[in-house]
Amino acid sequence: MSLGKGASASGNPLDRRDAMLGVMLIAPSVLIFCAVIVYPLVSAIYLSLFNIFTPTLQGNFVGLDNYAELFAGQEFWRSLFNTLVWTVCTLFLQVVLGVAAALMLHQAIVFRALARSLILFPYFVSTVVAVLVWRWLFNDLYGILNHLMLWSGLLQMPLDWLGSMPNAMISIVLVGAWKYFPFVVIAILARLQTIPDHLYEAATIDGAGAWGRFMDVTLPQLKDVLMVVILLRAIWDFKEFDLIYLMTGGGPLIATQTLPLMVYKEAFGLDAMGRATAVAVAMMLVMLVFMVLYLRKMGREQAR
Amino acid sequence: MKRIAFNLMAWTIVLITAFPLIWMVITSVKPQFELFRIPPTFWPEQITFEHYARLLWETPFLLFMRNSLILSFSTTILVVAVATLGAHSLVRFRYRGRERLAQLVLFTYLLPSVVLILPLYLMMVWLGVANSLLSLVIAYTSFALPYALWLLRSFMQGIPDDLEAAALVDGATRMEAFFDVILPQALPGIISTSLFTFILSWNEYLYALVLVNTDDARPLTTGVMSMLVSSFNIEWSLLMAASVMMSVPLIIIFAFLQKFLTRGFGAGGVKG
Repeated sequence: MSLGKGASASGNPLDRRDAMLGVMLIAPSVLIFCAVIVYPLVSAIYLSLFNIFTPTLQGNFVGLDNYAELFAGQEFWRSLFNTLVWTVCTLFLQVVLGVAAALMLHQAIVFRALARSLILFPYFVSTVVAVLVWRWLFNDLYGILNHLMLWSGLLQMPLDWLGSMPNAMISIVLVGAWKYFPFVVIAILARLQTIPDHLYEAATIDGAGAWGRFMDVTLPQLKDVLMVVILLRAIWDFKEFDLIYLMTGGGPLIATQTLPLMVYKEAFGLDAMGRATAVAVAMMLVMLVFMVLYLRKMGREQAR
Repeated sequence: MKRIAFNLMAWTIVLITAFPLIWMVITSVKPQFELFRIPPTFWPEQITFEHYARLLWETPFLLFMRNSLILSFSTTILVVAVATLGAHSLVRFRYRGRERLAQLVLFTYLLPSVVLILPLYLMMVWLGVANSLLSLVIAYTSFALPYALWLLRSFMQGIPDDLEAAALVDGATRMEAFFDVILPQALPGIISTSLFTFILSWNEYLYALVLVNTDDARPLTTGVMSMLVSSFNIEWSLLMAASVMMSVPLIIIFAFLQKFLTRGFGAGGVKG
């Protein structure tokens, strides 16, 4: 890295020294980046061209065979499909619940600070804790959920929440919504507080009811932040591993196996490290679409 | 009247959302036999702390706790120190490639761990540090550093340029200005970033699952799950007690430092 534009423009020797200092300050970050992100990323693409046996880490070059095998088989497509179903469904619930809860918490309710803390807590709690609690709630014999639903007459028979389809997918989607909707709440709540009151007053004078005010004032104001939140959450839900792996392990069979779970299974269940990296790289290519969209959106916002 | 109805509705929704966590606490203080009562009791008929005692004295829980604390503190200190210098450089200095670098940071912040994890696993084996807390600290920087850099950069952009300029006019060097002017101004941001980095490391699961398979280096996340897998019949009250204990640091952070959390959230790439 060399002198910056600022330095060469002014030609001030002090600026030039400053540029050097700037580079020195960022150097540790760049070094770590290269070691734990750039190198592994390049390495992943390289490894995906090999056939590697995980326990010995020995293998031979097979070119694009891993990818050919992947795209010809059914499992990759099934996992991609599962990933999309999971992402779209849980994201939809997160956004709807998140916006609704944010609107609610924006109103004056008693003990509002406590209410906010309680709503936000699931987001900060470890996925391991969330999963343990929900697996206990979902327990088919002693779980409180089955019991409540039997008692209220919603169910005739105890339900197998995690071991059969479509229940397993519905369960992880629900738990995902519960765990991550607070993210939407915080983002929307922060934005709601900056909407000027006079917009609402004007709408009221024009005869808009509560619903009209929401549609004409609130929603357009939330549009930008919603876009950012949806993109971010889409990216994060797409790559979610912990929650699904710990809830169902991808089961029954591969009915809830998403792409990150497939990577793990190929690498450590089937000992095919090369094919696993091929799945990971393919998955990253799909995600790249969202990532580029998000980067462009953020780039525009920075420019503003 | 309408007020009361709205409040009732709002609090019902809040309590439903919080119910799983409330149930976790209730289950953890119920005696084992009461769990399998049909119909289940809501309030425990008798409160017991035997599961907590067993957790602490008869399981490797404290070892996992120690590992998690070492791991999270080391990661946080390392990452926040490096990222504070880096973010300062990205915000206040001019050199070629600076904007590209900032974009790269954001890009890596979104990168899926499963892509990095297999090469990192090979790297740890090759370096000879596999199965150690050190390998986890190294691996955790791969998600914590982009995150901390991005967050701190947003915070530092909010500090007016004039402050540093005034110090420079007074004859301070850039580094003196950094320590005397920028750092105190950035302190709330640094605290927020540290808390988030700590929580991220505390809750991390995937790297710990892949990189460590000995109890000596296992953090709480994989440690507690291994207790679930290894036990013959699942002891839910013990697991719920473990879940509560695991969440204690978060509860502390939540109770005392919540304003830093919400502030950090606003800066972290979700600005409207």
